[in-house]
Amino acid sequence: MLSRTLTTWLLSTSLGGLVLAVLYPTGRYLVPPAAAESASASVTLPFAPDDMQPNSAEIFRFGSRPGILVRTPSGEFRAFSAACTHLACIVQYRGDIGHIWCACHNGHFDLNGRNIEGPPPTPLETYTVNVRDDQIVVSRGA
Amino acid sequence: MMRSVLSAVAACCLVAPLVFPSAAAAQTQEVEVDNCRACHLVLGDERLSGPARAFPDDIHEARGFGCVACHGGDATDPGIAAMDPAKGFLAKPDRGDVPEFCGRCHSDAEFMRRYNPSLRVDQVAEYTSSVHGRRLMELGDLKAATCVSCHPAHSIRPPSDPLSSVNPLNVPATCAACHGDAEYMEPYRIATDQLERYHRSVHWEAMSIGGDMSAPTCNDCHGNHGAAPPGISWVGNVCGQCHSVMADLFAESRHARTFAMLGMPGCATCHNNHDITRPTDELLGLEEGAVCARCHSAGDPGGQVASAMRSLIDSLAMAYHEADSILERAENAGMEVSQALFELNGANTALVSARAAVHAFNVIAVKNDVEEGLEIAATAHELGRQAADRIQFRRVGLAVSVMIIVALILGLLLKIREIEHRAPQT
Repeated sequence: MLSRTLTTWLLSTSLGGLVLAVLYPTGRYLVPPAAAESASASVTLPFAPDDMQPNSAEIFRFGSRPGILVRTPSGEFRAFSAACTHLACIVQYRGDIGHIWCACHNGHFDLNGRNIEGPPPTPLETYTVNVRDDQIVVSRGA
Repeated sequence: MMRSVLSAVAACCLVAPLVFPSAAAAQTQEVEVDNCRACHLVLGDERLSGPARAFPDDIHEARGFGCVACHGGDATDPGIAAMDPAKGFLAKPDRGDVPEFCGRCHSDAEFMRRYNPSLRVDQVAEYTSSVHGRRLMELGDLKAATCVSCHPAHSIRPPSDPLSSVNPLNVPATCAACHGDAEYMEPYRIATDQLERYHRSVHWEAMSIGGDMSAPTCNDCHGNHGAAPPGISWVGNVCGQCHSVMADLFAESRHARTFAMLGMPGCATCHNNHDITRPTDELLGLEEGAVCARCHSAGDPGGQVASAMRSLIDSLAMAYHEADSILERAENAGMEVSQALFELNGANTALVSARAAVHAFNVIAVKNDVEEGLEIAATAHELGRQAADRIQFRRVGLAVSVMIIVALILGLLLKIREIEHRAPQT
């Protein structure tokens, strides 16, 4: 008698738990967390091409690393890693001189990402930019 | 036969004119047969055959210049008359005449433009201002370096050639050929350990290991043709060519005036000169190994500023590393923390800026960067902590799920057993 009661309790409790164990992850999957998409190979930027004036730049998130999208004075889009190759400070764009500039140690890069002045030892990593209608997609590699 | 050739060469050396012909004489000669080399290659004396063997690798050969471009004479003449002074033959120039000898072409802008328009033509002018040039020309010191000391005659390669004596990677050894020779340098009473010390420097590491050919070598600080000690009054003019932020902050600081007054060599006072190692936070403050402690103590205002700056830098460095560590653990556990890691890049930027701001020797300047970085690091750390909490929640959930599954299996086994026991009774 005791054995039958124990068995029934185990079965009903565990079956109820199993239902919960299935429903909870399903619910969490249907309502995803606030974290944004993982961007290991490419990222769609959260702004449109028309949002950027020529001779300006925007910092964007490429996975966990910062990137910089430059719109050149002629209107062309170019994207690079925004981590300075010297000590990984976040670079910025200087419209007055048309350079990508690291304020930490006054490092300068040209609009091809080449290190042209100051301590940066190597060029910035270059990304591929594709503009599709009102979307800008930045990718690693060619 | 050999003796007669050597005699002729020696005779030519004695009668060589002191005034060299101009660049116009140093034209490329299209010669069908280069009798200079044909003859010199078979001479038994290494001093005479060596240059002929080495010359095929020389940049001048590559540009079409033969022996006569520098030495004159007549390469078409197979006899000893080829080295007739009347045919413009110049033997090996005296050491003191080498700069003028090379300068016939290299100081002639119009001539050099035809072969290398970007090459400077003020090398001889710079050389005359160098310590080497002044010693040679003003004191007649024939041990002083001339053109051929760094650019070996007859095997001169352009700096871009990895085998060149003036390729950035080879410059230290080229300079050390004299400056590392204690016996050679003995009359000048200067140190000869520069190469050994430079090889311990962050600059050599960047160049030799990091492959950064723009990292400074001897000539970047001392000049090449105008080589001289950079001067101890304001070495920042040299270091500031690359480290401009720190040089500017230092120039505006109280230390710049004090160091100048005391005759202390600016940057090199704390960072040394040839053995400039990678700077660490340990250089700052009053603890063991800190350069500030050489002049300051805890009792003076300078010492208190040094300690305060070190404390601020340490607090941000620790906050950054703690945030980075917790986020890395979360990322390795499969959590999505890229946004927090992205934000944390701002704390690194603030930390690097704060370390540069130390050169203003002003606590406020450091504090501004540190406070900005601490705020970013705290936010990132909180996101990391939340991710760690989620990991813990998932682990607990997994344990509960396993227990439920085990209980289900156990219940099913017991139920099956109960049914099996009940069956015979019915």
